Amino acid sequence: MSHWKKRSKYTTLLVASAALLAACGSDDVPDMEQGAQADGEETGTTPDVSEGDTSTLMVGLTNAPDSFNPFYRPGVAATWVQRFFYDSLLFMPTADSFEPGLAEMTTEDNQVFTVTVNADANWSDGTPVTAEDVAFTLNTIADPAVETTLGTSVAMIEGTDASGVREEGLEELSGLEVVDEKTLTITTKDPVDLNYISEFLGLNVLVAPKHVFEDIELSELPNSEAATMPSVFSGAYQFVEYDNNNYVHLESNPDYYRGEPEIKTIYAQIMNGTSLITEFQAGNLHMTAGGGIGMIPVQDIGMLEELEDVVVEEHPSFNSQYMIINNEKYTDPQVRRAFAHAIDRETIVENLLGGHGEVLSSTYSSASPYKDTDLEPLEYDPELAKELLEDAGFDFDTPIELVVPTGNAVREQSGNLIEQWLEEIGLTVNQSNYDFPTWLSMAQDLDYDIGLMGWGHTADPNIASYLQTGAASNNMAVSDPTMDELIEQGMTETEFDARYDVYSDLQKYMQEQMFVVPLYSDSQFSVQSTSLNGGINEYWAGSLYDVNEWTIDPE
Amino acid sequence: MKKYVGKRFLTAVPVLLMITIGAFIMINLAPGEPTDLYITPDATVQQVEATRRALGLDQPYPVQYIRWLGRAVTGDLGISFSTRYPVLPIIISRLGPTIVLMGTTLLFSYIVAIPLGIISARKQGTWVDTFLTGSAFVGVSIPNFFLGLGLIYIFAVQLNWFPTGGMQELGVDGSIFSVLRHLVLPVIVLSAFYIANMTRYMRATMIQVYGENYIRTATAKGLAQKVILTKHGIRNALIPVITIVGTDLPRLVGGAIVTEQIFQWPGLGRLTITAIQQRDLPILMAITILSAFVVLLANIFVDVMYAVVDPRIKYD
Repeated sequence: MSHWKKRSKYTTLLVASAALLAACGSDDVPDMEQGAQADGEETGTTPDVSEGDTSTLMVGLTNAPDSFNPFYRPGVAATWVQRFFYDSLLFMPTADSFEPGLAEMTTEDNQVFTVTVNADANWSDGTPVTAEDVAFTLNTIADPAVETTLGTSVAMIEGTDASGVREEGLEELSGLEVVDEKTLTITTKDPVDLNYISEFLGLNVLVAPKHVFEDIELSELPNSEAATMPSVFSGAYQFVEYDNNNYVHLESNPDYYRGEPEIKTIYAQIMNGTSLITEFQAGNLHMTAGGGIGMIPVQDIGMLEELEDVVVEEHPSFNSQYMIINNEKYTDPQVRRAFAHAIDRETIVENLLGGHGEVLSSTYSSASPYKDTDLEPLEYDPELAKELLEDAGFDFDTPIELVVPTGNAVREQSGNLIEQWLEEIGLTVNQSNYDFPTWLSMAQDLDYDIGLMGWGHTADPNIASYLQTGAASNNMAVSDPTMDELIEQGMTETEFDARYDVYSDLQKYMQEQMFVVPLYSDSQFSVQSTSLNGGINEYWAGSLYDVNEWTIDPE
Repeated sequence: MKKYVGKRFLTAVPVLLMITIGAFIMINLAPGEPTDLYITPDATVQQVEATRRALGLDQPYPVQYIRWLGRAVTGDLGISFSTRYPVLPIIISRLGPTIVLMGTTLLFSYIVAIPLGIISARKQGTWVDTFLTGSAFVGVSIPNFFLGLGLIYIFAVQLNWFPTGGMQELGVDGSIFSVLRHLVLPVIVLSAFYIANMTRYMRATMIQVYGENYIRTATAKGLAQKVILTKHGIRNALIPVITIVGTDLPRLVGGAIVTEQIFQWPGLGRLTITAIQQRDLPILMAITILSAFVVLLANIFVDVMYAVVDPRIKYD
């Protein structure tokens, strides 16, 4: 019954409520608290924003973090939260610039990269952060026995295969060499763009403490205490507690090598989009996490813009929505282009998103530095669409199965419009709705004709995982030698301009072939209290780089 | 009676076992591969396999079930797919808030509704009865998400009398008063339905009881109205009401899914929705078994209460 004793408020209320199930308590319930507050010290004061508490930051998140394991971060929220307490080698304040994080990275030939770990960087238990930690992290990610989501981030290192797994016969990656305590060299298989390795390896990989993880059996690592309840940190904050699906509690790291954070406590609370709005209206939040994990329904954004003490900023987003096409069934590009001409994407952006978004011309939104700005989206032209289908000898009588996943209101509404527009040109469309996990399975089995799907992009334009032949998320059965060649070329070019040209060609080719119909990219909003100095910036993924400098003004 | 209750508990064991099998089959029949939700778009076949292995999904279904059952009897309900935390502490940490919310709601509802039902029945046909019946109709009809958002807007956002959501202020060692403040709005929302429901039942059964011959006899004997009401009226009317209480009891663990979402109440309802969205099968199994257990327990409780209230009912 110790669990209930610890929570005396429950017990009292339970008695008052004549609750019958108190016997469900257990003596062997582990406490999920760790780290800075595990010894029971007080956890701060009432973080009521309206009362002017300047030491506690209240953040609203719509997605729960699904991992605190630095080697395995399937969800965006997991990465975002981990960035508070595990630093990456580099920071990325904007989509095209990098700053030293735990280390600096330099190269002379775009193939051998020297990583110099910050001399002042220590783990929160006092152990210095070393080149060994970096090498251990990269070797662990590449280990075939490890459950990881970061294979792509290390796939350029010599000694890995195309998916970032260590080659057979090697005990450690041949491309890693620890020179001294603070220096490491990374050799890549081929010369690569510095921006590419800086983002994929420098930013995406969070360095893990070797002395904490090295003795854990690799197959046990994901479920280990070190991975689920971290206790040693390199970042500005320390993980204290995760109250499942409710909030994450963080406390400042007093020994942070870039300076102790001004804000001492952070609560990242998980709530739905509607609650985000009411919490802002009630003055209980300083900021939303933004990106795809602090989503305020676009139709409600006006309610926040009306608030005097809240700042709403709109930025283009990397996340984009597509109508994916079963390319095994619709092999003729003319048919696929006809689908694109039949859909009035401007109306989706204007009416469903209230203008808070953009029509996609091809694969990338305007958030990407690689978007070809000269490429215009295909026009809405239902007559042309019909002609193209007739020319291609398309069978108008066979129904087309359109799958629309539930859970994203705008996408669901756009599904209804798409059905209507396709029927206007004489097609028969059967729409079905499934929850996302079901739809994902169907897409992977190619059990659909057309369907709606969102893709999350990064600043780097590599799109291999969606469009390369046989790639993991190629749910459209796209198998095209020209596309594969362009993707390969994009990965191997080392200069921005040369890569830009390759990806420009790729975008044009995508539009020609229309393997998927690019629909729209909805804007992302950063919403925060006027009292917060700092917060989310235009390049969302890099926004936490200066979190130690954020402050809250007293009211 | 003790023997009867013991027998009921013993028969509950095979029933629970069957429920675990049924729940396991149903949950695994749900479309959608859980592993898909725990990988990134660039995951390779090997990485997907590693995740399947870590989640225990690489084994055939019968093996998965036997392993689950073997651990479950020792109190280990497995590991959550989404957080990799042990399931049992997660369930327990969510059970408390839900029982607090629903327990308070049911208790408050009965305390209010039973007298209202009696008054309504005794004042049948008057404006009091019409008002109470009309109010009950509104209470049953109003969607709780609508009422919840309305109350939040008025009492939390505009008037700032109550918090918008949650169970206590974060960062403060929660006092009972803090929890009570957070309870007010969700309890009002949930009680609207339960008060209305119970008032209607109580009214109907009281009207029925007052039509019985024994009430007429009691009145003819010259018994005081108060005695007729308490000794004959209410006691007899409570028998069907116990059935309603019995059906309400399982709601202690699962009756507030929508309200918990609106008020960010950290209970089982929110956990259930998230677990479904994330295909977190071990959490879903645990919630299903817990719900089944509470239903079985509530049935036994109701049968025992029948015997307590009605001396004619005896169990051998």
